[in-house]
Amino acid sequence: MTENILHIDKNSTNKQQPCEYHVASFVAHAIKKNITQVTEEITCTEGAEIHAVSEEGKIVFTLEASSQKKIGFLIDQLKHHVGLLSLSPIYHQFLTEE
Amino acid sequence: MTINRREFIKANAVAAAAAVAGVSIPANATNLITSSDVTKLKWDKAPCRFCGTGCSVNVGVMDGKVVATHGDIKSPVNKGLNCIKGYFLSKIMYGKDRLTTPLLRMKNGKFDKEGDFTPITWDAAFDIMAEKTKQTLKEKGPTGIGMFGSGQWTVFEGYAASKLMKAGFRSNNIDPNARHCMASAVGGFMRTFGIDEPMGCYDDIEATDAMVLWGSNMAEMHPILWTRITDRRLSAPHVKVAVLSTFAHRSSDLADNSMIFTPQTDLAILNFIAHYIIKTNRVNKDFVNKHTNFRLGNTDIGYGLRPEHHLEKKAKNNGKTAGGSSPINFEQYAEFVSTYTAEYTSKLSGVPVDNLNALAELYADPKTKVCSFWTMGFNQHTRGVWANNLVYNIHLLTGKISTPGNSPFSLTGQPSACGTAREVGTFSHRLPADMVVNNKKHRDLSEKLWKIPTGTIPPKPGYHAVLQNRKLKDGELNFYWSMCNNNMQAAANLNEEAYPGYRNPKNFVVVSDPYPTVTAQAADLILPTAMWVEKEGVYGNAERRTQAWYQMVEAPEGAKSDLWQLVEFSKRFRIEEVWPKELLDKNPTYKGKSMYEVLYKNGQVNKFSINQVPTDRLNDEARHFGFYIQKGLFEEYASFGRGKAHDLADYDRYHEERGLRWPVVDGKETLRRFKEGSDPYVEAGRDFQFYGKKDGKAIIFALPYEPPAESPDAEFDMWLSTGRVLEHWHSGSMTQRVPELYKAVPDALVYMHPDDAKNRGMRRGDLVKIVSRRGEVQTRIETRGRNKPPKGLVYMPWFDASRLVNKVTLDATDPLSKQTDFKKCAVKVVKV
Repeated sequence: MTENILHIDKNSTNKQQPCEYHVASFVAHAIKKNITQVTEEITCTEGAEIHAVSEEGKIVFTLEASSQKKIGFLIDQLKHHVGLLSLSPIYHQFLTEE
Repeated sequence: MTINRREFIKANAVAAAAAVAGVSIPANATNLITSSDVTKLKWDKAPCRFCGTGCSVNVGVMDGKVVATHGDIKSPVNKGLNCIKGYFLSKIMYGKDRLTTPLLRMKNGKFDKEGDFTPITWDAAFDIMAEKTKQTLKEKGPTGIGMFGSGQWTVFEGYAASKLMKAGFRSNNIDPNARHCMASAVGGFMRTFGIDEPMGCYDDIEATDAMVLWGSNMAEMHPILWTRITDRRLSAPHVKVAVLSTFAHRSSDLADNSMIFTPQTDLAILNFIAHYIIKTNRVNKDFVNKHTNFRLGNTDIGYGLRPEHHLEKKAKNNGKTAGGSSPINFEQYAEFVSTYTAEYTSKLSGVPVDNLNALAELYADPKTKVCSFWTMGFNQHTRGVWANNLVYNIHLLTGKISTPGNSPFSLTGQPSACGTAREVGTFSHRLPADMVVNNKKHRDLSEKLWKIPTGTIPPKPGYHAVLQNRKLKDGELNFYWSMCNNNMQAAANLNEEAYPGYRNPKNFVVVSDPYPTVTAQAADLILPTAMWVEKEGVYGNAERRTQAWYQMVEAPEGAKSDLWQLVEFSKRFRIEEVWPKELLDKNPTYKGKSMYEVLYKNGQVNKFSINQVPTDRLNDEARHFGFYIQKGLFEEYASFGRGKAHDLADYDRYHEERGLRWPVVDGKETLRRFKEGSDPYVEAGRDFQFYGKKDGKAIIFALPYEPPAESPDAEFDMWLSTGRVLEHWHSGSMTQRVPELYKAVPDALVYMHPDDAKNRGMRRGDLVKIVSRRGEVQTRIETRGRNKPPKGLVYMPWFDASRLVNKVTLDATDPLSKQTDFKKCAVKVVKV
């Protein structure tokens, strides 16, 4: 079992795995006056979809990509956006599709 | 089919995030969750391996693979949230350079201090360790042996280590890296309240009206708590956030009142607030009269440098009198703080008068509930204990303490700095449950609970972290074992005070770590170590919450947990080899026994049968030693604190709960201490009782502003502050090995004000040297980005092993807590 985990993880760390489907969900907090800009920024991100925006400025969105690395890269692009107070990853899962 | 599976897991992801955010989403996105083969995930809980927040993480395993992770929705701490480090947590175990065999420096088949690291067996590793230990005991006695441990050790590991050193080898030279992190907080608690750790809890965030950050960048260092603070601020418009720092950072973005102060002047600002409360007649007199005493602390206490340093020779009270104080009354205290007017404090600190008044009003207004949060800005301070004392002063003057929303809260940097370093007492002066080695009664009780003869534990406190490095350099500490930390990167002034000791030919240095860290590479012997969910564990977080996890995966073959290493090594000694004859004569039944039998197979630690380990669970240590060693160690340790305001629940219960906050009395956790009705230790009718002090009263200390050990001058014209970044945890030995985190922030940059760069003919991205009186480090300049220093100050994080900023920092410490001040020294920045 351990060997499997090691094997899988090393692969996903070191190589692109085009046959994988990754999805991750996030909750972001935005300053109210910046909500429009922040949601636009998220919407423009590859593989992103916004599912809900609350009145207080909470944004629930998902990112879909072919690797965890790609998701990491996309979060990096987003996290320093002006008006984004916090960004919390909530859930991550992947499927190996053959 | 594939599309359906994708939709299914996406719906799960959305549902989890929506639940965490507390927002509703269209029904068609949630009703996909049905019984299906893709729901066959095996979930298990574990606290996060990183900071002291104590988030719980769920790891999902299917067909032997980790396929999902998410924040634990059942956790009262993180309520389903993750930070970016927690999100990539499962990857910390799988760095490419994971160590799997002991490595000894050898030449021609033998140990050689100048040799190359060569793979050896565990047996051979313990052979040479035992040989070097016995040689040291013979030549120097117990004081020649030392250990540097960790606030990342599990509770049992810290406890087993402390027992091995203090009861086995009879050396108090054991200290945790929490010395660099929490020692001033401990000093503050003990001095003001007589008992360690916060009275309040995280629940106060949702109950408060104002939150003040003192030298803490929670947005990056405690992101989950920061999310809770952000949530509170945005959902309750009357709530105010004030942020004090020596440079602007991500937490400043949310601040209603952002204040940048000159390093060290936080002491003056704290006294100004006390003065403001008194001047505007808002002292809670009833509370102050019933529940506090006033004392005047000794001053001019030095800077914890080597005794021959000119600053130490000059200081009046840098010896045993440093912590002394004398009683005063309220009027004398009011007179003392009256120096700190808004104008005087503003001039000293650089914070405008209006900002200071707005800050003080948050504390003074009786209608405003207020939480103060602090970490390294206060603790890594040559007057760190004072800073802690002074913030308690303002909460005590107003009675804003121990009630919902009113909480002076010391945050923690490590996952078990509270649980392991502080509660277990792995400091060089401490024993479990707040007891200390220089108190005869405390030693007697510990010896009784450990079933060892009276007089076993030495009464003199051992070498603390900074002193350990000095004693290694001076050749007085000759067998040294470092576990679960990276002190060669973490300790200040490493060129002059750390590296020379590790390479001193008189010393044999062992480092246990999962990875070849800077510290491991400076050692003579490296031991490959199992980590996190490769072993069973218990951690204690900053709000007194004790949390447990089971072993979930096997460690790589060859790597062993710290617990296994400590206990297995104890088998190498007969008790006659470590204890003198007169001690053994007091308990002759121990004659001929191994140290393992005396310390661990003592009828208590081995009390719980291996059959109590669930059969479907991994537990390498229990199966190796033949008994449920984690439970045995935990229960023996818990016997120190039960009935003494440090009560822990039964071990098994922690596997069922998302943690419990001690004291746990009659099965119930305690959210807020010292308040009647909330804390079972407060006697009826007392309302508040600070029972760490005999008279139940907390102390308000009169302590002044005193200058730092080193300030900028004509040659070294800038302040240097060091710290952390969101993506990396401490020295980066784990997070730098997660490709996504490494890529996000690969190198430590020096953050500088654009005008300072311009005046030096430098531009963003230029290669520069930071030079101090002690050394230099090269890096590149950043004039934009997340940290914005004021003119005259630069900031550089210390996670980067290729750019060791601690070559330039000063090893000045708080003389009371012995914690190093990493936040201020004088440097110049020059072009390469």
